[in-house]
Amino acid sequence: MERTIIRTENLERVYISGVVKTYALVDISIEIKEGEFVAIMGKSGSGKSTLLHQLGLLDKPTKGSLNIDGHDVINISEKERTRFRLNELGYVFQSYNLIPELTAIENVYITPMARNMKKEEYESMAEEVLTAVGLEDRMHHYPSELSGGQQQRVSIARALVNKPKILFADEPTANLDSASSEDVINLFRKFNQEIGQTIVMVTHELEEGEKADRIIWVKDGLLDPEKL
Amino acid sequence: MDKNDLKVMIFLAYKNLTKSKITFMVIVAVMAMSFLSITFFASIIDGLGYEFEEGMIRGQTGHLMIEPQEDELYISNSKDLIKDIRRIPGVVGVARRMDASAVARHKNIEIGNPVLFIEPENEKDVSDYWNSVLVGEYLSQRGTDELIIGADLVESYAEEDDTQKRFNVDVGDKITLSFSNGFVKEYKIKGIYKTGSRFVDDKIIINFDQYQTIFGSTDDRASSIVIALPSRGLEESYTRDLIDLGVSEQINKWQTKMGAVNQFVGSLQITNQITGTIGLLTAFATIYIIIFINVTNKRKQIGILKAVGIKKEIILGSYVLQSLAYGITGVLIGNLAMQLLLLLLSIHPLSMPIGPVVPILTNERLLTTSATLILASIVAGFFPSRKAADENILDAIFGG
Repeated sequence: MERTIIRTENLERVYISGVVKTYALVDISIEIKEGEFVAIMGKSGSGKSTLLHQLGLLDKPTKGSLNIDGHDVINISEKERTRFRLNELGYVFQSYNLIPELTAIENVYITPMARNMKKEEYESMAEEVLTAVGLEDRMHHYPSELSGGQQQRVSIARALVNKPKILFADEPTANLDSASSEDVINLFRKFNQEIGQTIVMVTHELEEGEKADRIIWVKDGLLDPEKL
Repeated sequence: MDKNDLKVMIFLAYKNLTKSKITFMVIVAVMAMSFLSITFFASIIDGLGYEFEEGMIRGQTGHLMIEPQEDELYISNSKDLIKDIRRIPGVVGVARRMDASAVARHKNIEIGNPVLFIEPENEKDVSDYWNSVLVGEYLSQRGTDELIIGADLVESYAEEDDTQKRFNVDVGDKITLSFSNGFVKEYKIKGIYKTGSRFVDDKIIINFDQYQTIFGSTDDRASSIVIALPSRGLEESYTRDLIDLGVSEQINKWQTKMGAVNQFVGSLQITNQITGTIGLLTAFATIYIIIFINVTNKRKQIGILKAVGIKKEIILGSYVLQSLAYGITGVLIGNLAMQLLLLLLSIHPLSMPIGPVVPILTNERLLTTSATLILASIVAGFFPSRKAADENILDAIFGG
C-alpha cells in the first residue's frame, strides 16, 4: 500500500462549558494511506464529524498529534493552516455551503483564483472539473437555480479543483434523495479510482460506507473497539 | 497582502453588491437620506443666518458704514467725501443718510418713530428700499412732501394676533411729522415698503434735502455714509483704501454694526453645530446598525470562505470594500439630491417671516458630512466582519 497521508496519535477534543467538560474525541490514533477511500461511521453524536473537522483543520484538537503528508499541522500558525486548507485539502459539506452570490463556476474557481492563477487557467480548471461532475450546462447558474444534487456536485467540483491531497466529505448525501446520493458516492469512487484521490467521508449509511475501501467506526468519541 | 489578494477581494465585493441589489439599494437609500437630513436642515439655518445678515447689510449698514467720531454729531464735508469714495475702484455704491426721530400722527394715532433721510438715487446702489415697495412708488429725487413708510407701521400688514399700535393708512394718505425742534409738516404716503427685515421695516423715510429744511443745517452734513462693495469679505481692503483716502471718521464693517443680529446669527450657528453633530452621530449609528446586521447575516458565508482557504484579510477587505461602496454611493446620491433641492429652492426660495430664504450648503459642511458618513460605513463594515472573520470556522458555518 501507498505511504501514510494522515496519522493521528491520541487525538482528543474536549469542549469546556463552565465547569463541565465534554469529551467529544478521546485517544484517537489512526492512519490513512494515500489514495485510500475511507468512511468514518458511527451513531449520531458518536464524534465522527468532530473527528473529520480535526483531520480537515476546521477545528483544533485539545490534545494529541496530527500529521498530514509529513507535516505537523497542530503546531502551525493560523495563516499556515489557512494556506494548507487552500492548497492541500478539499471539503464537501452536508448542506453544500456554496456562496449564494457566486455562480457555479465562480464558486469553483474562487480558490484557484485565490492561489494567484491566471484567469484563463482557473476558468479552464473550473470548467474541466464541472464537466467531470456532469454540470457542463449549469456552470453559469447561481446555487438557488440548481437542485440539491447539482449543488452538491458543484461543492464536489469546488473541493477537487485544486487537486487536493485529501478530500473531506461530511455526510455529503444527508440532504439528497437516493438517486442523487448514489451519484455523489459514484463520483467519489470514480475520482478515487481514476486519479487516486484520497477521500475521507463521514456517513451514517452503511451502504455508502461499504463502497469505501475501509470504515473507521467511532463510538462515544472513541474508536469502536469491537470493530477495530 | 499582495495584488492578487486585492483582486479576489474586489471580485467578492463586486459579486456581493451586484447579487444583493435590494440590500444595496436599501443601505444606499438610508445613507442618502441621512446625508440629506443633516445637510438640508443645516443649509436652511445657514441660509436663514445669511438672510438676516443680508437684510441688515441691504437695509441698514451696507458693507461699510462711515460714522462720525464719538465726540462729533455729524460727518462734515460729506458731499466731497462721497465723491472721493466713489472714485475708489470697485465701489458699487455710496449714499449719505441722516437720522432723526419724530412723532408721526394720522387721525387719532400718534407714534414716536425714527425717520431716515436718504438721497433716493444714491440709496438705490446701497440698499433695497427702492425695490421693496409693496404698493405705491419709491421716493422721487426732488419730492419735498412725500414719504415712504415701513409695512411694520401699517395696520393692514400686521399679523392677525399682533396688537401693536399702527397706522390705518394707505398710499395717498397723509401723515403729520412733528420734530424735536418744533417743526411740523404733513407728508403724503408715496409708498409702503417691506424688505423682510424687521430691523428696517419700521421706518419712515423721506428725502435727504428735507433735513436741511427741517433743521436748517448745511447740505454738507450726514449722520452716516453707507458703502456697498462687490461682495462680502472685501471689507478689510476697502477700509485700507478709505484710510488712504484720508477718511478720519469711524469706518465700521457690517459685522461690527450687527449688534443683536450678530448674537442671533451666532446663536443660530451654535444651534446648527449642535444639531449637525447630533445628526451625524444618529446617522453614524443608523448606518452602523444596518451594515452590522447585513454583515452578521453573512456570517455563514464568511465561515465557508475561511474553510476553503480564503485568507481572513481578503474576506475582511471585501466587506470593507462593500461598505465603502455603500458609503460612497449613498453620499453621491445624497449630494445629487441635495444639489437638485438647492437648485429648486434657489428658483423658488422658502417663504419665511423674515423674507425668502435660500438654503446655503457650505463646502466645509459638505465635506464634513460626506467624510463622516463614508467613515461610518467603513467602521460599520470593518468591526462586524472582523468579528466574523476571527470566529471559529465551525461556529461561523453552523451557528455555534
